[in-house]
Amino acid sequence: MKLFLKELSDIPGVSGFEGKVREFIKEKIKDKVDQIEVDKLGNLIAFKKGKVNKKLMISAHMDEVGFIVSNIEEDGKLSILPLGSIDPRVVLGKKVVVGEKQILGVIGSKPIHLMEGYEKVSFENIKVDIGTTKKQEAEAKVKIGDFVSFAPNAMVHGEWISGKALDDRGGCSLLIDLILEDLDLYYDTFFAFVIQEETGLRGSGPCAFKIKPDLAIVIETTTSGDNPEFPEARRSSELGKGPVITPAHRGYVNDERLFNFAVKVAEENKIPYQIKRRTAGGTDAARIAITTGTPSLVISIPSRYIHSPICVLNINDYRNTFKLLSLILIKEVL
Amino acid sequence: MVEIKEVLKNLSNLDGPSGYEQPVLEYIENVAKKIANVEINIDKHGNLIVRRPGKGKRIALFAHTDEIAFVITKKEFGNYFRIHTFGGVDPKVVISQRLRIHTKEGISYGVVGMLEPHLQTEEIRQKNITFDDLFIDIVEKADKVQIGDLATFDSEAFELNEKYIAGKALDNRASCTALLYTLELLNQFIVSGDIYFVFSVREEDGVSGAINASYQINPDLAIVLDVTHGDIQRPSYPKIETGKGPVLDIGPMIDYDYFNKIKNLAEKLSVNYQIEPNGNHSSTDTDSIQIAREGISTLLISIPLRYMHTPYEVVNIKDIEETARLLSFFLARGGE
Repeated sequence: MKLFLKELSDIPGVSGFEGKVREFIKEKIKDKVDQIEVDKLGNLIAFKKGKVNKKLMISAHMDEVGFIVSNIEEDGKLSILPLGSIDPRVVLGKKVVVGEKQILGVIGSKPIHLMEGYEKVSFENIKVDIGTTKKQEAEAKVKIGDFVSFAPNAMVHGEWISGKALDDRGGCSLLIDLILEDLDLYYDTFFAFVIQEETGLRGSGPCAFKIKPDLAIVIETTTSGDNPEFPEARRSSELGKGPVITPAHRGYVNDERLFNFAVKVAEENKIPYQIKRRTAGGTDAARIAITTGTPSLVISIPSRYIHSPICVLNINDYRNTFKLLSLILIKEVL
Repeated sequence: MVEIKEVLKNLSNLDGPSGYEQPVLEYIENVAKKIANVEINIDKHGNLIVRRPGKGKRIALFAHTDEIAFVITKKEFGNYFRIHTFGGVDPKVVISQRLRIHTKEGISYGVVGMLEPHLQTEEIRQKNITFDDLFIDIVEKADKVQIGDLATFDSEAFELNEKYIAGKALDNRASCTALLYTLELLNQFIVSGDIYFVFSVREEDGVSGAINASYQINPDLAIVLDVTHGDIQRPSYPKIETGKGPVLDIGPMIDYDYFNKIKNLAEKLSVNYQIEPNGNHSSTDTDSIQIAREGISTLLISIPLRYMHTPYEVVNIKDIEETARLLSFFLARGGE
C-alpha cells in the first residue's frame, strides 16, 4: 500500500477539469495494467485480466467540488458558481487557485468590524480576489469559465490526514493501491476513474455503458457527522470504525447479494466495518445501475467535512477498506 | 537591505498571539540589529524597544506585534474541543480552517469542522453560526492539548499578483515591516532626533503594551502605525484604497500641528496619502498613548488592508514602502 492521498488531494481537479488528476493516476498505473484508455468524456479506464470471463467494474471519481468563474467584475474581482454542493459558509477566508495558469487568489470576507449583526453568506456575495483592481487587468490573467479550486493544503498527522479533495481522491488512491498490489483477480476487472460525480454523476454512466459490467463496486468517501454539534442518532458513520458498506442511498437500493457478500467477507476476516446509517447523498452506483442494470454496491472510507476546503480521513480506515476490497476482488461474488 | 516582501511573509508566518509575541519579537530584533547600530531593550511588559540614539526630540514609533488568536476552552469527546476568540473574529471565517495549537509541548493541528451538506437539516443550513456552534477536531497530538492553549490560523503568506502579500496577521506585521524599512532608510540621513521603535505587545487583547512603553519613554511625539480597512466603502467615510499610499488619520487623538507638518511633507515629497477621519476612538493604541503621563502628542498613520482579522489579509507593498519613505524624511528632520 503506497497511499497517494496527500499527493492526490493537492492536485486541482474540480468537476470538468480532472486532467491533472487523470495524468497523475495514469503515470502511476500504466505499466501495471493490461490495457488503459481515456474515453470520450475523460474517464480513465484501466483493465486487468482475471480468471473468468465476467466483468467487474470498480470505480472512484476523480473530481472534487469547486467553482467556475462566472464573471469578471469591473473592480477586477471574480464572481463564481459552485460545481458540486458546497455550503457557502465554508468558503470565506480561503486561498484558491484559478485556471490552467494556476493564478493564486483569496476569497475575502468583510471585516467583522464593519458588520451590522450577523450577515448571511451567499454565493452572490462571494468574490475571488486575484490582486487585480480593474476588469481589463483581470482579463489578462483569467477568463470566464476558468476553474477555481481550493489551494493545496494536505497534511498527514500520524493516523489522520486533512486536505481539500480527499472526496474522492481517497477512492482514487485505493484503486491505484489495488492495481499496484497485483492481486489474483477473479473477474476481468475494469478500474474506472470517472469524471464529474459532483455535478450529477456524469462520468460513470457512459463508462459503464461501454464496459457493460456484470457487477460494479463504487469506492467513495462518505459522510460521518460524528461531531459534538450533531446528535449521535443522526450520524451516518464514524471515523476509525472501518469501511462503510452502504445498503441504500438516494436513487438506489444497493444490490442485496453484493451487500451481503461484502459484510460476510468483513466478518470472516475480522475486518472492522460499519453499515451506513443514513440514505443521504447519491453515488455513481445509482447511475451505473440505472444505465446498465448492473448490480452495484458502494463501499466508502468514512470522512469528515467533505465538500469543504478541508476534509479529514483516518488512515486506519483506509487500510481496512483496502484490506476488505483486496479480499473481495479475488473472490467469486455472484 | 530589507526585502519588504520576504520580511513581511516571514513575519506573517510567525505566530504571536497577544501575550505570546516572543517569536515575532526575536525575528524583528535580529533584523533590526543587522540594519543599524541600535540599542535593544525588552521592557518588563515584554515590549521590544529598538532605540536609534541621537540628539534632539524624542520620537517614538509604535507598531503592535500581536495577532488575533483563539483559546481552547473545553474538551468534548474524542479529539474534539471547543474554541473561543479574543480580538474580534467573525466565526464564519474560522469554519473549515486548520489551526495551529500552541501546546506546552509544541504545535498540534486541528481542523474547525463543518457538517457535510448531505447531513444538514434546513435548520442547520439557515443557522447563524457563533463560536458556540464551532468545534475543533484535533487531528495531531490531541493528547497534548490543554484548556487554555492558544491557537492561530495555519495560513501561509504568499504573493498575490506581485503587488500584494496575502497572509494572516498582516494586521499589524505590515506596520512592523514598515518600521524596519524606516530604520533602514534612516541610514541615508543625518538624523536630528532620538528615535525609538517600539514593537509593542498586547494590542488585540486591550492595548496594555503600548501604554506601558509610552509611560517609560515619555516621547515628545508618538507616531502609531496600524492598519485600516481598505477597498471597502464604509458608510459616511471616504473610501480608503490599497495602493494609494499611507493613510493620515485625523480625529480627537491626533496632534494637528504635527499632522499638518507630516501632511505638508508628504506633498513636498510627492508621497500619495489618504485622509481618514476618526470619531470618538481610533481603535488603535493611539488613544491610550495620548493620555499617558501628562499627555503625549500623537499621530496615527494607517496602512490600508483588505479582509481584516481573517486568515488571508491583503496589503499592497507600495503602501508599506511609501509609509517608510515619508516617515524617514519626517524623522530625519526631527519631526518637522
